[in-house]
Amino acid sequence: MSVRPEAVAVPAARRSQARGWWGVALLVATEGTLFGTIVGTYFYLRFKSAQWPPEGTPEPAVVVPLVLAGVLLATSAPMQLALAAGRTGRARAAQLFLLVALVVQSGYLAMQIHLFADDVRAHPPSANAYASVKDLLLGADHAHVAVGLAVTLFLLAKLADGRVTGYRRVALQCGAFYWHFVNVLTVVVTLVQISPRLG
Amino acid sequence: MSAVATPARERIGRLETIWEERPGFLGWLTTVDHKRIGLLFFFTSVAFFVAGGIEALTIRTQLAEPSSTVVGPKTFNELMTMHGTTMIFLFVVPMGLGAFGNYLVPLMVGARDLAFPRLNALSYWIFLASGLFIYVGLAIGQGPDQGWFSYVPLALKRFDPGYGVDFYALGLIFNGMSTTATSINLVTTIFKLRAPGMSLNRMPLFCYAQLAAAGSALFLIPPLTVDLVLLELQRKAGFHFFDVGGGGSPLLWQHLFWLFGHPEVYLIVLPAFGITTSIIPTFAKRKMIAAPLVALAELLVAFIGFGVWAHHMFSTGMPNSAMVFFAAATFMVVIPSTIQIYAWLFTVTLGRPEFRTPLLFVGAFIVFFVIGGLSGIMFAAVPFDQATTDTYFVVAHFHFIIFGAAVFPILGGMFYWFPKVTGRLYHEGWAKAAFWLTFWGTALTFFPMHIVGLLGMPRRVYTYPGGLGWDAYNLSETIGAFVLTAGLLLIAANLLVSRVRGAPAGNNPFGGPTLEWATTSPPPPYNFAVIPTVRSEYPGWDDEALAEDERRLRLGVGTLEQGHEQPETTVRDGFADDVVEMPSESGWPIVIAFLLTIVFALTLTSHYVAAGAFVGLAGLAAWVWLWKEPAE
Repeated sequence: MSVRPEAVAVPAARRSQARGWWGVALLVATEGTLFGTIVGTYFYLRFKSAQWPPEGTPEPAVVVPLVLAGVLLATSAPMQLALAAGRTGRARAAQLFLLVALVVQSGYLAMQIHLFADDVRAHPPSANAYASVKDLLLGADHAHVAVGLAVTLFLLAKLADGRVTGYRRVALQCGAFYWHFVNVLTVVVTLVQISPRLG
Repeated sequence: MSAVATPARERIGRLETIWEERPGFLGWLTTVDHKRIGLLFFFTSVAFFVAGGIEALTIRTQLAEPSSTVVGPKTFNELMTMHGTTMIFLFVVPMGLGAFGNYLVPLMVGARDLAFPRLNALSYWIFLASGLFIYVGLAIGQGPDQGWFSYVPLALKRFDPGYGVDFYALGLIFNGMSTTATSINLVTTIFKLRAPGMSLNRMPLFCYAQLAAAGSALFLIPPLTVDLVLLELQRKAGFHFFDVGGGGSPLLWQHLFWLFGHPEVYLIVLPAFGITTSIIPTFAKRKMIAAPLVALAELLVAFIGFGVWAHHMFSTGMPNSAMVFFAAATFMVVIPSTIQIYAWLFTVTLGRPEFRTPLLFVGAFIVFFVIGGLSGIMFAAVPFDQATTDTYFVVAHFHFIIFGAAVFPILGGMFYWFPKVTGRLYHEGWAKAAFWLTFWGTALTFFPMHIVGLLGMPRRVYTYPGGLGWDAYNLSETIGAFVLTAGLLLIAANLLVSRVRGAPAGNNPFGGPTLEWATTSPPPPYNFAVIPTVRSEYPGWDDEALAEDERRLRLGVGTLEQGHEQPETTVRDGFADDVVEMPSESGWPIVIAFLLTIVFALTLTSHYVAAGAFVGLAGLAAWVWLWKEPAE
């Protein structure tokens, strides 16, 4: 941004994060606490139980959730590449990377919702505390992936005219930040979910 | 300002045009001006305070004498629940952060608005809607009646089958969204929108207190939200979290609730600490003693506050090791509080104190805070806690903290900033009379509760038999409550009359040192014609800096009069980093708040698919809201 004679003197390149970035960082902090509380609830209930999962409830699958979480985690790469492309003003490249991320994210979510629906039908959350807290954790995570998807879609639409404005650069940064957070969240949730099989 | 030169007047005129909002009623619905939103928060939380006060007076009338039948047990339980819920969620927090934080933080850091003005508007409309949502329950005879802490199993469907608990739980989840949004806004404003030159060590202590409060809110609201979601899932969808039969645990509710509930106490008192540290230097006419220690203490109180929650649960049967940990943490939190008390006392005694009304309220605050603090650390002694838990001793303790230590600075702050907000002076004589009524009313209402609690009177009872030695104390508490009410009414009358008939205040009637006093009373929509020069912790006492601002206004340096603009600065040093376009008024916040209200109403009545559809609509509205980009 150029320095106008009547303006506050500012440097040619920013030295600190924009306020939008801070908004997302604080949102991530509060949402991280939200998930931390649900995870804490999971283990509180687990350590109060004699058997986890209780009699008659099958143990969680391990391989499929881990593979799916790995696939989702991989989408952090195209998001970061989209961010880098946006920074240098290459709108088309940013769009392409976002599109790659979006396709994988959508496939992941569709698969997860399919598995989730089957699981809830077979072992409803009203069965016991284990099923309740596990389904809450997974449901909340899937909802966050869905929000992340909407954010990616918004960014794609914003870049449709092939220009990268300052607003869009910050938006890309915020979107990528939130997306990385969702990925970390999913990895944590997956590990918690398979924890009865881990020891 | 008669000597304003022509170019300066032109510049001010340009700023007026750029920052002016739509006039009239519609303007209030679409406003994003932090001062107008602050006032909306103020008047709304005062309205809820009146409701919570009427509930309290009814409770006290019922308890004035033994075996009284003014209200029955069901109504009493509803009044007690709504009194606590209202005062905490709909009055003190929105007053401290929403009204005082909103109005004053941007002015004190030399900014033209909060970091996210439209999010701020959304936060207000959500707050209003959530409060009305909870009160609709009471109005249609489905008021929550399980206590503000809503313990399970009492709050489960089996024992409380109506809609009362659902109004409470959904209303508070909704309310938490507002607190979160306001907190994100305040922290970002404090980090990014300080005037160039205001490095962190020059930031007013008021802003440190707001930073500590808003920062802790981001970590204490989620446990409450999760707790309420668990409760609703169990009540509405048959999940199992709190029933032993289904593998749950009733203590889980209490752990999550107090993990929220105790830090919430600091969320309530920290803004009051901030008000205190603003009032004291002004009327003691000297800088705060040990200002860096006070800033650290404000942050430490918030931090340690997260480690003490289980002292609310000493009587539930916890392991000894856990009780020792929480008892020790409870003792520890005394240290930063005491640092502040000594800093306030020494600043007053080493200054040249002028005991005007705001300072009187702050003095009373210190007295009440010490009393409430002393009874508070008594609970860290586990056997004492177990003996007095669920008695009126506890009620006495937390009213000294929440009413004495949080509301008194708020009342003092109302007098202190009244001239800034309205441009007029309040009536000092009547204000002092009102202060003494309020002071003695408070002491008379809450002090006897200590004694009657030690005599064994349990809390939350709708009546009690005579002849137990409790009668005279209860009667004096009730008389105190009415004296206190008279004091509060006198305060309201003073401010209302002064609003119309008070003498003009000028920019800085008390000689305050912070930046809000450097602009006009009331401040213009753009707050400052020139982004202020900050070279010290007390820019309002820096005459050279004020003269520099005058000079820069004449030259047009730092006026940012080409657009709806505001500088962004670096977090630690406050170096100017960018000039950004600020969002202007918008109707989307109120639309989204309305759609979300429908979501919660549909969830309450178990129409989940329709609720989901309205979530989608709210998302679409957010999409449209964010679509329009600022000019570059």
